[in-house]
Amino acid sequence: MTRADWLVLLLAIALLPVLYTKYWGAGGPADRARIAANGQAPLEIPLSRNQQLHIHGPLGDSVLEVKDGRARFLSSPCPGQQCVHSGWLARAGDLAACLPNGITLSLQGARPRFDSINF
Amino acid sequence: MKGLLAARASRYIGFFALLGVLALSACGRAPEPLHQEQVLAFGTLVDISIWGTDAASAQQASAAVISTLNALHHRWHAWEPGPLTEINTQLARGGTVDLAPDQIEVIRGAQALSRQSGGLFNPAIGQLLAEWGFQMDERPADVPPPHPDAVKERVALQPAMDDLQLDGNQLRSRNPAVQLDFGAYVKSYGVDQAIAALRAHGISNAIVNAGGDLRAIGQRGGQPWRIGIRDPRGPGVLASLEIHGDESVFTSGDYERYFEFQGQRYQHILDPRTGYPASGAMSATVVYPGGGVGGGASTALMVAGPDNWLEVVRGMGLKEVMLVGADRTVYLTPAMAKRIHFEIKPEPKTVIGEP
Repeated sequence: MTRADWLVLLLAIALLPVLYTKYWGAGGPADRARIAANGQAPLEIPLSRNQQLHIHGPLGDSVLEVKDGRARFLSSPCPGQQCVHSGWLARAGDLAACLPNGITLSLQGARPRFDSINF
Repeated sequence: MKGLLAARASRYIGFFALLGVLALSACGRAPEPLHQEQVLAFGTLVDISIWGTDAASAQQASAAVISTLNALHHRWHAWEPGPLTEINTQLARGGTVDLAPDQIEVIRGAQALSRQSGGLFNPAIGQLLAEWGFQMDERPADVPPPHPDAVKERVALQPAMDDLQLDGNQLRSRNPAVQLDFGAYVKSYGVDQAIAALRAHGISNAIVNAGGDLRAIGQRGGQPWRIGIRDPRGPGVLASLEIHGDESVFTSGDYERYFEFQGQRYQHILDPRTGYPASGAMSATVVYPGGGVGGGASTALMVAGPDNWLEVVRGMGLKEVMLVGADRTVYLTPAMAKRIHFEIKPEPKTVIGEP
């Protein structure tokens, strides 16, 4: 093998752990937010674009905010406000839920890390 | 010539290694027959995942799950007027109630679990739950906790599942203070019925997750289903595990329902011995094959806390348990320690408990 071959091979091996942590590792970076609301097909949006979304639930509109690669419940018409208190979600697998309004927000990496989360 | 070929081949090895690595990053993107739906049913968020069926059949099957769960929700609701509140009214009067076969099944099952848990799982304390305001869909803010005397009074009446006497299909109670509220136990029953409904629709790969209480069957395209267990004090996942075949994963947590009053937090799982919220643990997870005991077991473990959890493990014949203590120490049975994978760094302090 030539020196260049070795270099390519080494580079490939060196890249492995990076990709591993990126896509399979614990709480790796997220690139999408998954929003599921009562009875509707889940919605996936990229975290790369800052925006606010009004998601309709039985109690009214919950406002979700995507900003700088993170996402959160900005406001929700529920009495407990647990979803708002969850704060910013930043890593794949992070989850916030507004049970009274039937809305969950979770962050996804390249491959959904979990098929279901016990919350 | 031979040497040249070898050199060329080795050049390709490097190229393919890089290609392979790059392919890793894209292989999860292929579309697959996965149907996921989230609905408000059963008084909570229900997550249904179905793999390997066309969209129309998956939709039909999940509609069957939703109607099954909603029917059960009404049948076992502890405070909205319905069959269970009728039973409770009769029991309080000292009367006798005729039960349907499914009601006998649930009450007998809860009696057995209550006994095995040494009374820590006690669905007869409906009065106490009402006193605390947990028998409301949304407890209004700034309502204080009950007066200590009121709590003491309710506890002194000692309502217990063994106060109930079943004679054929006739139910009565020796103790008029017994008011049934099955809480998480009826969720295990509901999840089992939901899985039965899916199977009746020919589904063999699915997850039904009723607000933290789930049962999974089959696989996701030859890969085991992966379940994340929520960190009780954060938005992330504390630990994960893979499902083998047909298993239930039940988690109870102090973060699920609670209220705050003057800076103090009161959670919904009450210790039937004191009448106050259990305080030893943040969450309890039980994994077991098939369906059955889940809700009763995770509730009893929350009440037992780190001091008594192994007694509950033994009494209920549990194998795989994870308890997160109030100081975040994670208590594991050996069988659970073998299969659980922590998803937070640094990993929490763990204690292995030999049942």
